[in-house]
Amino acid sequence: MKKLAIALTGFALLATAGAFAAYPDRPVKLIVPWPAGGDTDNIFRPYAPLLQKHIGQTVVIANVGGASGTKGAKEAKDAPPDGYTLYAVHDYIHSTYYTGVSDVNYTDFEPICMISSTASVLTASPKTPWKDWAGLLADAKARPGQISVGATLGSTSHFFPALIEKAAGIKFKYVSYEGLAPRMNAILGGHTDLTDANMTQKGKVEAGQLKFIAIATEKRSPEMPGVPTLKELGVNVVYDVNRGVLAPKGTPADVLVKLESSCAAAAKEPAFADSMKKQATDVRYMGRKQYADWLKGNDDLNKTLAKDLGLLKR
Amino acid sequence: MFDLLGTALVNVAQVKYLLPLFFGTLAGVVGGALPGVTITMTIIVVLPFTFGLDPLQGLAAMTGVYVGGSAGGLITACLIGIPGTPSAIATTFDGHPMAKKGEPGRAVWLGVWASFFGGLLGGAFLILATGPLAKFALQFGPWEFFSLFVFALSMVAGLVESSLAKGLVSGGLGLIVTILGSDPVMGQKRLTLGIPFLEGGIDFLPVLIGVFAFAQIMSEVERMGGAEKLADAVDRSLGLAVSHLKVIGEILGRPFLLLWVAFIGVVIGVLPAIGGSAASMMAYDQAKKLSKHPQKFGSGVPEGIIASEASNNANVGGSLVTIMAFGIPGDAVTAVMLGALTIHGIQSGPLFILQNPELAYGIFAAYLLAHPLMVLIIGLSTSFMLRIVTVPKAVLFPVVLVLCVIGAYALNNTMSNVYVLLAFGLIGYAMVKGGFPLAPFILGVILGDQIEINLIRAIMTDADPWLFLTRPISGALIALSVASVVFAIWQHYRHQSKVAGDSETDF
Repeated sequence: MKKLAIALTGFALLATAGAFAAYPDRPVKLIVPWPAGGDTDNIFRPYAPLLQKHIGQTVVIANVGGASGTKGAKEAKDAPPDGYTLYAVHDYIHSTYYTGVSDVNYTDFEPICMISSTASVLTASPKTPWKDWAGLLADAKARPGQISVGATLGSTSHFFPALIEKAAGIKFKYVSYEGLAPRMNAILGGHTDLTDANMTQKGKVEAGQLKFIAIATEKRSPEMPGVPTLKELGVNVVYDVNRGVLAPKGTPADVLVKLESSCAAAAKEPAFADSMKKQATDVRYMGRKQYADWLKGNDDLNKTLAKDLGLLKR
Repeated sequence: MFDLLGTALVNVAQVKYLLPLFFGTLAGVVGGALPGVTITMTIIVVLPFTFGLDPLQGLAAMTGVYVGGSAGGLITACLIGIPGTPSAIATTFDGHPMAKKGEPGRAVWLGVWASFFGGLLGGAFLILATGPLAKFALQFGPWEFFSLFVFALSMVAGLVESSLAKGLVSGGLGLIVTILGSDPVMGQKRLTLGIPFLEGGIDFLPVLIGVFAFAQIMSEVERMGGAEKLADAVDRSLGLAVSHLKVIGEILGRPFLLLWVAFIGVVIGVLPAIGGSAASMMAYDQAKKLSKHPQKFGSGVPEGIIASEASNNANVGGSLVTIMAFGIPGDAVTAVMLGALTIHGIQSGPLFILQNPELAYGIFAAYLLAHPLMVLIIGLSTSFMLRIVTVPKAVLFPVVLVLCVIGAYALNNTMSNVYVLLAFGLIGYAMVKGGFPLAPFILGVILGDQIEINLIRAIMTDADPWLFLTRPISGALIALSVASVVFAIWQHYRHQSKVAGDSETDF
């Protein structure tokens, strides 16, 4: 018993000593809530070494996939708020919360920084009969609820087509395909008709294996100027997926300051801009304050969207 | 095409590419051999080192990991009966008994050479048939996948050991494990008992390590006073005394089996999201069905090892087909490879081979060259590895157990998987004690999620259930499943009655 007490005191002392050491004094874990090789993973893989360079400690990516990305979210939320567990997030955090897929909300975290933004592109299977938006619209009106869309239900790939439905007054049928790769498999084989994709799929379009119907940006993409924007087609939808880094609620202020400065420096590295350009993604940096405001705004927007789309569960 | 391949082979044979390929293969063999460290984990560890290399160097290293890892798993599978990677599960069935019977060298080398030939056959399919195979894979919608997984599940009937009922219970338990946690579509919680940790569901890997490693170790530990080492009959020199010609002869002497299991491996590889574990189990099941002496399977027959290992390396070739033809990852490993391409700014997709012939054929060449390297690496290290069987159990098992725990932890860098490992270790041990076979259980765990999600997708796409039978590929697979079950039950009862007959003559 005495030995145990001594050991415990020893541990307590060690723990206190640890608390006084300057952050970070051991490797930092970045939770990516999807499997390796997905869109989010591909954005954070080249980012992690840069963050590591500026933070001065190893940054380890942990891919915790499953349940529409909410398994990783939950794990990040439950991690000790000491700055040694970070969470790679995108807009799905709002949509999965309001559609009832997950209990984790963005308010369970401290914002650190936003790093990137990827525009959504409405993409069709080569086996579909339509050549353009007009053809799709006419068909959707003729066959309501018949055109199938592959999506991660409750997440961004569900919201984007749902916004189009609402703006154009049409109705799709949703089929659950979690993640871009399974959605691509299904759409290439013609097992679904439409999906949310992005410019990284350009190669398949050029090969005639996919059709880009329209991009959800304000202006046409210089990458593929032939693809019209939804706006110019009269469908008022602008949609992109924004990725950033969060830390569990209660992370000490000095740790957040250190994280923010490292995050900013890493996002401003030319190497990061290069790798994002190759992935048809814009570097979009926001610091803690600005990101917090943006998250709040985006959360309200998603709540409204979920309500308008009839998906609101809370 | 062949001149392109020739050029690529010469190109990759340069030190510049051969070196990363060699180290990748080495990392793969080591990662594959360590229980609990998967090929995916190894490739993620290797990935950062490739950022600084040119794309082909990086891809060569990763191809090496993939090939090396698919073979490396057999070492642990044969020598200690614990699959080093999930794709080596079926290798334990016959590899370990053979090693225990005092032929560890033969078991390992049968596996290595089967991997070699299976891999090369997979490579031949990869190079010659990328186009047609990939087109075939695209025909697979949710109906076909559902039926394919049901077909795979029907192998439970062939994997039950002495009791059909216990085998089915075991398979059912495996399926139940996949139900735990959030449902795959809308995250509805199932059987979580209010425990937050169960909400995310249970990862396959800690279940596998728990059931195999823990149960295996416990049953060995129990044999108190018996053999102190895994294989008493083995002395150190014997390990090396394997005639390679004889082993190769054993493999090539079964050309039909080799071709058939390699074909199964490739086809499963081409189809996305299935992986080497299902491929090797299916191949094993096929080998058993085709065999003249199915009752001997599980006692250390060479066919079992050949089927499992040849098919899991051929499976690698198949996975590369999907990535080459569509730029779509078929499994987690190719997903990381594809991610690496994206990071290097190379557009993956159907035009990949046309736009980057030197890269595409470079991958083919790296794949082919990785196989002799793999044999070389394992060859150089076997004398060392075979000593594992001569290490006293008291030393070996704690080390293996620690490695398993580290592997489970490293999967997501979280403790929860270690608890899963422990829980399933106990469950696995209880199952072994109760006479429930482990293989059907693992098969249920592997296939449950995929059967469920594809069933949901099929019904979400079209509510008509007859489509499972009327779509030609799907219907054929369902018919095969029925045939497979009927055949396995017939084989089972014939064997049982034979055993009964034998025992009667004894009296």
